[in-house]
Amino acid sequence: MTLYYLTFWIRTAALFLFRSGRSTAALSLMVIAAVATLIFLSALAMGVNDTMIRNSVGLYSGHISGFALPSSIAPEALQVNGTASVLKRIVLTGAFVHQNRIQSANLIGVDPSAEVKSTAIWKKTVDGRYPQNNENEVFLSQTLAEGLAVQLGSTLTFRSELGDTLTELTVSGIYKTGIDVFDRELAFCPIQAISPKADTWFAAVFLKEGRDPDAVIARYRRTLPAGLDFKSWKEMMPDLVQLIDLNYLSMSMVMVLVFGVVSVGIGCAFVIFILKNLREYGIMKAMGVTSREMALLILSEVLLMNLAACAIGVFAGVSAVSLVSQNGIDLSEFTSYNRYFTVSGIIFPRLTFFSLALPPALAIFFSMVSAIWPAVLVARKRAAEILRIV
Amino acid sequence: MIQLVGLHKTFRSGRGFVNALKDVSFVMEKGSTTTVVGKSGSGKSTLLNCIGGLERPDKGSITCFGRNILALSTKALSEFQRQCVGFIFQHGNLLSYLSVFENIAFPLTLNGIAANQRTERVKVLLEKIGLSGAEKAMPHELSGGEIQRVSAARALAHSPRMLLADEPTASLDSETGKNLVDLMFGIVKEQGCTMIISTHDPEICDLADMTFYLKDGEGIAEV
Repeated sequence: MTLYYLTFWIRTAALFLFRSGRSTAALSLMVIAAVATLIFLSALAMGVNDTMIRNSVGLYSGHISGFALPSSIAPEALQVNGTASVLKRIVLTGAFVHQNRIQSANLIGVDPSAEVKSTAIWKKTVDGRYPQNNENEVFLSQTLAEGLAVQLGSTLTFRSELGDTLTELTVSGIYKTGIDVFDRELAFCPIQAISPKADTWFAAVFLKEGRDPDAVIARYRRTLPAGLDFKSWKEMMPDLVQLIDLNYLSMSMVMVLVFGVVSVGIGCAFVIFILKNLREYGIMKAMGVTSREMALLILSEVLLMNLAACAIGVFAGVSAVSLVSQNGIDLSEFTSYNRYFTVSGIIFPRLTFFSLALPPALAIFFSMVSAIWPAVLVARKRAAEILRIV
Repeated sequence: MIQLVGLHKTFRSGRGFVNALKDVSFVMEKGSTTTVVGKSGSGKSTLLNCIGGLERPDKGSITCFGRNILALSTKALSEFQRQCVGFIFQHGNLLSYLSVFENIAFPLTLNGIAANQRTERVKVLLEKIGLSGAEKAMPHELSGGEIQRVSAARALAHSPRMLLADEPTASLDSETGKNLVDLMFGIVKEQGCTMIISTHDPEICDLADMTFYLKDGEGIAEV
């Protein structure tokens, strides 16, 4: 088939669509709505996952955790392409003592000003404030504070399990995250208060948006001395990985189900749309239009309509996502007791290549499949048969 | 020459088997005009459909200008139809999404005629059928007579060797019908085209070289 005929049939298909305006518009509307809805739904699913990851790594741990790093490795050595910040922490295991009360805990020495910039645990303050640099202050969980019967301004002692550290700290703030491991065991103080007593340190590495922690770890393994222990958030939080996978799976199932139902509707509408024009196809066959040309005409009609409808659907979906993602969707009412939403329950829908490409691809695929039967019917029947049945 | 030998065609319907054509045979000379006459259901449309390749008879042979059209492949039959056959239907059957110009130009495009030649040919035909200036009109904007005139122009646009007209005047008043028939006979004579026209109208039979009578699928030719 030459370009002359190809152009002619595509032009004829476009004329058929354009001049049967109301039918084309009604059918297009269905495709537009389906594509736009699915783009929004998939962007929402991405947004939920993003929020869970952001909350989980942003509260304290970072995207990558470095364990028991020797003091010869400086935090600057971990600053590579893709990292946003590297926080140095020193962890001491021991117990807090206040008057006659003792509570076992992990005391974490941090750089308060850097922590405030990169983490969100200070946002969970229920009383007082986060410690300040160069002050012998401690930021305790509410559970620890109650166990030790301390209040803001109280002074308590931390004794490490090796017994070589005895530090006096003043309570500057009390926090509550709702996450058991934080609320039971962790307390934070400026690193200067305990650093002379530690020869190893822990790293919390925060990455820029969209960077792969495994790639950064691989780079550390190539450039830093062997034997250093780094773990990504995926290794540290397998439950979150599973939850995200589950979220993807359930959203994919919803999408397939939604599109399954919609595609049946679209398919039926396309069959009706094509059969509505059966008389025209019969006349064309009587004039010597070949079966191949007839199939080309029908499939061109379906493809052209879908391309136009999908373009509008993508535009509508992207517009809806852009509009909503400016302020996000606040689901705090439904997530306040959920550990993965402890920092923020606001979802920002995010578009990905697949969330943009999959719905139009599905729409075109299902429409083309649904067009096959009427196209074959028209192509195989003789002109007189077609004209007799319409 | 168009030669039909022993054509049989049976349809299966809710009322059982209907013999639309029973052993129909006749010969038409090139450039001649033939009317096919018979009551409703006598097999006129089926006969025309068979000759034009729109229908396949169960038995018999149809030779058009030296080619046995029943032996042609689907693709070759389509080629034959688009080059050699022009069809006028009872109700015009214009392509409703195409304008008058596009309808008449359709067979020209199918035959690969260049755009400027197409435009020229359509203009000439529109003038002949008295519809100059109606190029952009859509079929639903035309009267019954105009539709049939456009249908005739479309059927003759590519100068086919054979024109088949299935009761073209049936839905028209006598004056409009007569004008259409005069037009068709005029163009056919001018182009040297062989025409078969099914009709109930004895006046049309008088204009034709031969009349073929069909009764219950069986035929008798009368010159």
